[in-house]
Amino acid sequence: MRQIYFDNAATSFPKPPSVAEAVKNAVINLGGNPGRGGHVFSQAAAKAVYDTRAECARLFGAEPENVVFTQNCTHAINLALKGIARPGDRILISSMEHNSVARPAFALTKKGVRADVAEVGKNDAETLENLRGMMKSDVRCVVFTAASNVTGRLMPIREIASLCRERGVCLIVDGAQAAGAVPLGLGLGMNFICVPGHKGLCGPAGTGLLISDGEYSLSTVIEGGTGATSGELEQTGFMPERLESGTLNTVGIAGLGAGIRYLNRVGMDTVFAHETALCDMLIAGLKKIGERVYRTGDRFVPIVSFNIGDIPAPALTSRLSEGGFALRGGLHCALLAHKTLGTLPDGTVRFSPSVFSSERDVAALINYLKKISETGFLPIEI
Amino acid sequence: MTYTLISVSSVTYAMKAKNLLNGMGRYCEIERADRNSRTGCGYSLRVRDDPSEICGILGKSGIRTGEQRTVERGGRP
Repeated sequence: MRQIYFDNAATSFPKPPSVAEAVKNAVINLGGNPGRGGHVFSQAAAKAVYDTRAECARLFGAEPENVVFTQNCTHAINLALKGIARPGDRILISSMEHNSVARPAFALTKKGVRADVAEVGKNDAETLENLRGMMKSDVRCVVFTAASNVTGRLMPIREIASLCRERGVCLIVDGAQAAGAVPLGLGLGMNFICVPGHKGLCGPAGTGLLISDGEYSLSTVIEGGTGATSGELEQTGFMPERLESGTLNTVGIAGLGAGIRYLNRVGMDTVFAHETALCDMLIAGLKKIGERVYRTGDRFVPIVSFNIGDIPAPALTSRLSEGGFALRGGLHCALLAHKTLGTLPDGTVRFSPSVFSSERDVAALINYLKKISETGFLPIEI
Repeated sequence: MTYTLISVSSVTYAMKAKNLLNGMGRYCEIERADRNSRTGCGYSLRVRDDPSEICGILGKSGIRTGEQRTVERGGRP
């Protein structure tokens, strides 16, 4: 049976052909260790890495040296959050955060850091008011998602950044769902942007970015060989090597560069319009059959969360998978978000299309959901 | 031909410098430093233009430069 992939918020698939080509080329031709020697193999790999670094810098409005390659967005968030928070500090996270933020924040509370949750309100004004009310003098850092991975709701990052700047508070933005979907850059005023390379940027799994405006120097979570200052036991002090210990993922990075170039070629606006139209189509279909869509807020990235009757989301996605539709059901690694939405314990079903998704595929999904909604749910016998 | 080797701290800064200078139509190639700097490891920029001017250009882009050495083609520093 043909499988239709609608789980691009987890990781985008398929990848553009140019990404596969870049990965293949890197495996064949970029075998040296970047920044670890003067021979041609090392230099060629270093150039490929730098070219992607510069591409990322342009996309996010950063200097190339302030672009750190990571394994994924979670890795980037951990580097930023654990690198900035010190015992005695207070950090604020939003009530819509993914566990990639909530768990490191919780871990920090065991090391003398106080972590509190700022409620995301019904609208941006309410969200900002809640955050403003919690911005006391002991707050060192705010971590906010740019867009919820559950509902796709975009947060007022520019206004949050402005508030943080006024109070001298560091702002770390989780750009997991916003990067590649909407313009997201340091020009909005945040200090750090954490993004995956393998979602909206169309790169391979195992790639991510930590983008900095250079204002804060982060303590290191990992130390080791950086190809620089090797005569000292003290970790390299300058970026990006300070945060890039160990051999880089040259193959993945080359693929990420190709992914960003693809996105630039097609146009982020074009991709966003296409995916948003598919989301609108699904929402209209779900409303027509009287099912629940979780959409509080004004602006969204192309993600739709829904439920069909009282069918538990994980069970519904199993049923959809049997029907040839790959969607993600459950908590989406976002306990706080589902607590906020009131969708515990079973969560929601999440639809996230890509540039390669079609109206025909969405129509087929709506038709299948309609049948489930009308005929009732048949439990899967184990 | 006489070149000047200007040391920089990392391959990232070396690449940034090369892109910047080449983009301005100036010659610049990257070499692994012949000798380690005080802190160990490093890269050098091989340039033909006035090294003070080059360091000034790089400094404005946040690229810190280290020691400079003049090299004759085919010779060693």
